[in-house]
Amino acid sequence: MVNKRYIARRLVLMVLSLFTVITVLFFLFRQVPGGPMAAFTNPRMSQAARQAIIEQYGLNDPLWRQYLRYLENVVQLDFGQSFYYGSSVSSLIADRFLNTMSLMLTAFAISYTLGTYLGAQLGWVRGTTKERAGMVVVLFVRSMPVFWTGMIVLYVFGFQLDIFPIGRMRSTGASYETTVQKFLSPDFLYHLVLPVFTLCTYYTGLPLLLMRNNLLEVLSETYIDTARAKGLTSRRVLFVHAARNAILPVVTAFAIAIGFAVGGQVLIETVFSWPGLGREMVQASLRSDYPVAQGAFTLLSVIVITMNFVADLAYTYLDPRVRLGES
Amino acid sequence: MKQATATFDFDDDAPLLAVEDAVVKYSTSGGDLTAVDGISFSVSENEIFGLVGESGCGKSTVAQAVLSLLPSNGRIDSGSVRFRGVELTALSKRELDALRWEHFSLISQGAMNALNPVHRISDQIVEAIQAHRDVATDEARERVAELFEVVGLDPDRMDDYPHQFSGGMKQRAYIAMSLALDPDLIIADEPTTALDVIVQDQILKRLKELRDELGISVIIISHDISVIAETCNRLGVMYSGKLMEYGNLKEIFDNPYNPYTLGLQNAFPTLRGDQSDLISIPGSPPDIADLPDGCRFMERCPFATAECETDHPPLESVGEDHASACYHHASIARMREESRERETWDKTGSDTAASGGVSDD
Repeated sequence: MVNKRYIARRLVLMVLSLFTVITVLFFLFRQVPGGPMAAFTNPRMSQAARQAIIEQYGLNDPLWRQYLRYLENVVQLDFGQSFYYGSSVSSLIADRFLNTMSLMLTAFAISYTLGTYLGAQLGWVRGTTKERAGMVVVLFVRSMPVFWTGMIVLYVFGFQLDIFPIGRMRSTGASYETTVQKFLSPDFLYHLVLPVFTLCTYYTGLPLLLMRNNLLEVLSETYIDTARAKGLTSRRVLFVHAARNAILPVVTAFAIAIGFAVGGQVLIETVFSWPGLGREMVQASLRSDYPVAQGAFTLLSVIVITMNFVADLAYTYLDPRVRLGES
Repeated sequence: MKQATATFDFDDDAPLLAVEDAVVKYSTSGGDLTAVDGISFSVSENEIFGLVGESGCGKSTVAQAVLSLLPSNGRIDSGSVRFRGVELTALSKRELDALRWEHFSLISQGAMNALNPVHRISDQIVEAIQAHRDVATDEARERVAELFEVVGLDPDRMDDYPHQFSGGMKQRAYIAMSLALDPDLIIADEPTTALDVIVQDQILKRLKELRDELGISVIIISHDISVIAETCNRLGVMYSGKLMEYGNLKEIFDNPYNPYTLGLQNAFPTLRGDQSDLISIPGSPPDIADLPDGCRFMERCPFATAECETDHPPLESVGEDHASACYHHASIARMREESRERETWDKTGSDTAASGGVSDD
């Protein structure tokens, strides 16, 4: 369904857009007032020491040479050392990335599955009291600010009922041998419940409403009458014929949402003290920790660009009428 | 897949389909609208029955009512629809599902969007078969290949998606699907509307052959009186939710009794006819939210009189298997004569209905 030339062309385009993003990032951070030195060096440092550091990092070189060296490092996935932590940016971002994704992917998987299913059901019973009541609930829940929901949830389930931990990813003292063990341990999943629940209250709304609206449109198509006339069960008409057509825009929304999930949910990560990438990016910007910010932004663009491509590919699978690259 | 099954007490003496005094209403925010107002007709075995009328006259609503496929705000308000003596309006959804496709199937405007765009055509036909019969997929697929032959399609293309077919091919594929379970009755709603004349002709011919070969009955619903003329044995002419003329095709075409039928015949070209012969009926059908008290066709009828303003005329027998709804059957010879003149129809546009009429004598 997808021809190889199209994929090759798309890959070249992806590399080009990535290159552009990386270039813009490089020059952007060098335009920030104070420059890279401002945060890195101590004001009380002597002039000689300052010069030594500038020499050491090659910041005296012409800009184009710095740029080339930067590109060379990026290709090797080397984003340098964090000014703040003093450790490698790559491993720092990798760690925060895993933390964020474990939270966001779980939340998105649940939200989109639940939202698509409920949206289809709600569209199917259109015009009934059930649908009207459902819509009120959905719109109400969707309108709750996520940090507010987070605090309420924390207050009720964390402080008052004391069922769930009030923050962080694991209990103090817990240690794991492998990363897989870390993310599959009951302790981690236990910590995951409240933030995921909070995120779901917010993210379920979009796929639900999208699905319902698309379904209303699809239900008026002639092929739905055909399916009914064939004597199929309502379930089959809804899921095999109607929902299958209505789901297309939800798939796009999902892929794009995943792309932006990398950035994390700063508010949620803050409320639940979750050591994720979103919070790290904000703090890196505040601390003028440019290498970390640069690395995080680069990762963000890679994921967003890739997920857009994945969305297009998913479309060709779901809708046989879409033929990529045969224009 | 779970099969829809139910047992029915079919009456072998009853007509295949009998619609009696059916009233179909839609509930809207502005109150109930009557789309079909007391229609009766029957279809017997081995017959092609046509329903003809302008857009909005309620002919598709009749089809949906028979198939119990009315939109959620529509309902059969009164009257009955019997299939081989079984009252369809009293059936549960499960029972209906057992009858559907197995006994009566549908041909939609397949050229457009009547096949699901995301499923292979073969899968859609297999689905119809397996919804009613417990057969293996391979066996069902063999049946699909067979059906493709029947409608003149290449079986090698049965795994294509609908968009890979041309309009005419899609229509044939749809017909193949409607034949899948050897139904007794097929309801074809505008089966050739989006197709060019040549493909249209092939499709109609195939339908007639299928009636002769398989002994099925067909209801064709069309706004195109030439489609009806070409294929049907019997027909009903509908106007604004009412049957204006009903009966044997040859009877109606040779001796039309209703002014609306006269107007319809004028408005359609024949292959040999002169283009200048075409006379259209001025005006448009009444708004079903605001129906006149009298005859529905009154405002556009050149022969309307004061009598027509009282009530819609009842269907009256005017011959063997031939009925018409008009108060002026007595002066039919004059109406036929005058209806051929353009001036007769022209004056209805400007004059009031009552002054342009004929007197009964």
